[in-house]
Amino acid sequence: MRERFLTGYNDFVLPFVCGMIFVLAYCIIGMTRIILQLPAQDRKRFFISLVTPKTFFKNVKDIFLKCLIHVDLWKRNKLLGYMHSSIAFGWFMLILVGHIEVFLYTSNLGAKALYYPIFFRYFVAETESTMKGSLIFFLMDFFLLVVLSGIALAIIKRVRSRLFGMRRTTNPSFLDLVGLYSLWAIFPLRLLAESFTADISGGSFLTKSLNYVFTEFLSNHANMLPAWWAYSCALGIFFFVLPFSRYMHIPTEILLIPLRNAGIRIVNARKGLAKAQVYSCPSCGLCIDACPMVVLKGNIRDTTVYLNRQIRRNNEARIEEISDKCLLCGKCTAVCPVGVEGDKLRIAQRSVRKYSYSPDYSNISAEKEAMMCNKFVTAPNNEVSSADNEKVLYFAGCMTALTPVIRKTTESVLEKAGVEYEIMDKDGGLCCGRPLLMAGRQDQARQLVEKNTEIIMASGADTLLLSCPICYRIFRENYTLPGIEVIHHTEYFERLVLSGRLRMRRDNTKYVYHDPCELGRGCGVYEQPRNVIASAGVLVEAARNRKESICCGGSLGSLTLGFDKRKAMTENAISNLMAGSPDRIVTACPLCMSTFSRYSDRPVEDIAQVVDRTSEAGKL
Amino acid sequence: MKENIVIIGGGIAGLEAAAQLLSLGYKPIIIEKSDHLGGHVAEWNCLFPDMTPARDIVSSLAARSADANIFLNTEISFVNKLKDSYNIMLSNGISIITKIILVTTGFSVFDAAKKEEYGYGVYDQVITNRDLEHWFNTGEDKRVNDCGMNAVGFVHCVGSRDEKARNPQCSKVCCITAVKQAIELKQKFPDAMVYCFYMDLRMFGKKYEDFYISAQRDYGVRFIRGRVSEVSENIDGRVIVKAEDTLSGKPVKVTLDLLVLMAGMVCSPDSTRVANMARLPVDSDGFLKSEDNVADIISSPKEGVFYAGACTGPKTVPETLAEARAAALKVHLYIKGLE
Repeated sequence: MRERFLTGYNDFVLPFVCGMIFVLAYCIIGMTRIILQLPAQDRKRFFISLVTPKTFFKNVKDIFLKCLIHVDLWKRNKLLGYMHSSIAFGWFMLILVGHIEVFLYTSNLGAKALYYPIFFRYFVAETESTMKGSLIFFLMDFFLLVVLSGIALAIIKRVRSRLFGMRRTTNPSFLDLVGLYSLWAIFPLRLLAESFTADISGGSFLTKSLNYVFTEFLSNHANMLPAWWAYSCALGIFFFVLPFSRYMHIPTEILLIPLRNAGIRIVNARKGLAKAQVYSCPSCGLCIDACPMVVLKGNIRDTTVYLNRQIRRNNEARIEEISDKCLLCGKCTAVCPVGVEGDKLRIAQRSVRKYSYSPDYSNISAEKEAMMCNKFVTAPNNEVSSADNEKVLYFAGCMTALTPVIRKTTESVLEKAGVEYEIMDKDGGLCCGRPLLMAGRQDQARQLVEKNTEIIMASGADTLLLSCPICYRIFRENYTLPGIEVIHHTEYFERLVLSGRLRMRRDNTKYVYHDPCELGRGCGVYEQPRNVIASAGVLVEAARNRKESICCGGSLGSLTLGFDKRKAMTENAISNLMAGSPDRIVTACPLCMSTFSRYSDRPVEDIAQVVDRTSEAGKL
Repeated sequence: MKENIVIIGGGIAGLEAAAQLLSLGYKPIIIEKSDHLGGHVAEWNCLFPDMTPARDIVSSLAARSADANIFLNTEISFVNKLKDSYNIMLSNGISIITKIILVTTGFSVFDAAKKEEYGYGVYDQVITNRDLEHWFNTGEDKRVNDCGMNAVGFVHCVGSRDEKARNPQCSKVCCITAVKQAIELKQKFPDAMVYCFYMDLRMFGKKYEDFYISAQRDYGVRFIRGRVSEVSENIDGRVIVKAEDTLSGKPVKVTLDLLVLMAGMVCSPDSTRVANMARLPVDSDGFLKSEDNVADIISSPKEGVFYAGACTGPKTVPETLAEARAAALKVHLYIKGLE
């Protein structure tokens, strides 16, 4: 082991060193800004989570599994997973082993520590005669091969993305392309450069063999320096474009993971967590295939990946257009490998837009509404009210009022099961607030939340039953109702069936269950409706279901999509449901039901209709 | 006159065309899928604006066309295009070679259950215009309470001019039908309140406006401009209708004994089936596409295939009859041209 040059310096390291310093400075400044932009209490929470052992270990684990191994991509498609983890993990190991090598074999580094781990083979001639030496040579070549295989796959993916399970990929911007080509160039150039020095500084199966094979060319040491220059330049270019290209996701994700693990939510549309998410977007384009709007090709540029790009460019007109168009089905969030919350980013964005008219609901009297449903409030000595019988308050909501069959069948089921219930909005009620929240009108939504809370707390009920997932989600997420259980009718029916209060008659009707966005991805209710339907007939699955269920197209989320545009989305969602050729389509959302029944060639029902038709009173 | 003429559909358009062709000396063939002639009109009670009994119209048409070859309970199995004619296979096993097809397949009444918010099929007190005519004819409908009718509502434009229901077109006849039915109900139950919830009143035809004025002035029918937002049921089984009166800008809530939905016209599935078999184009509104919507609504783009009546769009009875006569003349001239 010997130093080849007394100075331990050559000009070719400059592009790399400058790029490295630039990118580090940029990332540190950016990270500091994001942390400073967090609301004070979130910031405190973040710092505490960093030193709490539980979240600390979770952070380390998540960073390792997500940033280096890309487990989410492995689950989606093996080839896609391998491509990403080979590049990320391989490169990480090259850097790690490179540093170990430098610290094992050299001392008194000084400024050389900046570039020695990268260009070690040029400056230091090491012998492989020792066991340690040949092991490190082998590891370096091995991981270089791993990365090169990943790069080869990446090149294939550019041409044939379908092999990787992706129908459509993102159209890269100019700087993305510069970053992409320089990234592709780095590793072949490293192989070339190290092959030149393999007969001087040593190498392993890859570099040494290459040196032997192309001995005429590679043993000519006059050509060595250009190769090392090219390698350093490729690295330098990559680092200089990194902050302005999609590759910014590499450093940002390391910040995003601890932020998410600290339980921080998006508050400001452009600052703090939102900013970290936007910069964490790797432009992989998985959200393009996920988006239900993309059945119309014109909407490809309104997917989350392009929203992130426009936010980074501060293109206000497009940001508003994209944010308003979205159906807020949340599927892009569900499939995103880095955890960009496309729906929440858009809601936050909508909350900063100016509406010309802002209604005020604060003067609505909750007392009158509360009077209607205070059946459960009885005098303390009243013998009728038994303590063990639950008191269910059923909030049908606006959408159920427009699909009266759901309310009627739900009531019929409750009566069969002998449930003591009262309807909260029998004679017109207040909106739950979720549509306002989706439109970004947080103040108005909060006013309604307060009024409804007042009515519910005054009712004396202990269970709040909902048949609309849109209501259900806001009642779960934004209401504080101490002592009252909030439950969706799918869950409640399952409970009634399991406890034997309802007896189901099973027949051979084939049902397919459509997961409504707000119930499935929104509230994580997947199994209960399936269990109920399976007890009424044969349950078949859609081609894409559960987390990847396709929005019916009728969502309240979009502020700008017209019926003509939604039609194609609905038809696409219906054809997805037809995979198992069912007799009937069952859903658990009044909006999905009325949207589907417009275009479906077979009956579309709410789960309440199925239960009402196939059940009879069980034992009490 | 050996030329075969096949008329698909034995409604008023088919019957009128057949009667005209008979008087021109032809022997047309009428194919009707149901067991009676007259189509939708045969199910109606009286026709606006003079309260002509529908039965009279249909029976006189049937009498005038009785000499035609009429196949009842017969559907078309398939249509083959031959070199210069068509081979039509019927469900009763007969096959007809013809150079002339007259499509008079008409319309279907919009399925009111698709407008879930009105509760058709869910609430007992909600019926359609067609159910009401059936009740006028037979007096049999459990949903209509003969004795205690205090308040009745009519909802206009159910499944018409409604993008959500996939029918952007106006069905033309429902406004005046609602006026007619409102008057008829008022005649039967003079003390009942009758409300019409409309978005526009399109009184385009002869004497329609007079009819409408009379409904207001002589019968006291209440017209409320605004669409019904939701319908619910109260404990004693009456329906509660919520709407907005857009002229006064106030929400309205009324409790009714009967709610009548004015279901509109949509292209009948049979028209679409015939169109598929004979390769006829369908227009953007779902009805059959004519050669020209202004100058030549009777001709199809296919040689020897003609239309009459509501298969090309919503039409009133006189319009349909006029079109049927025009189609008969067109067929006559076409046959002359062949010879």
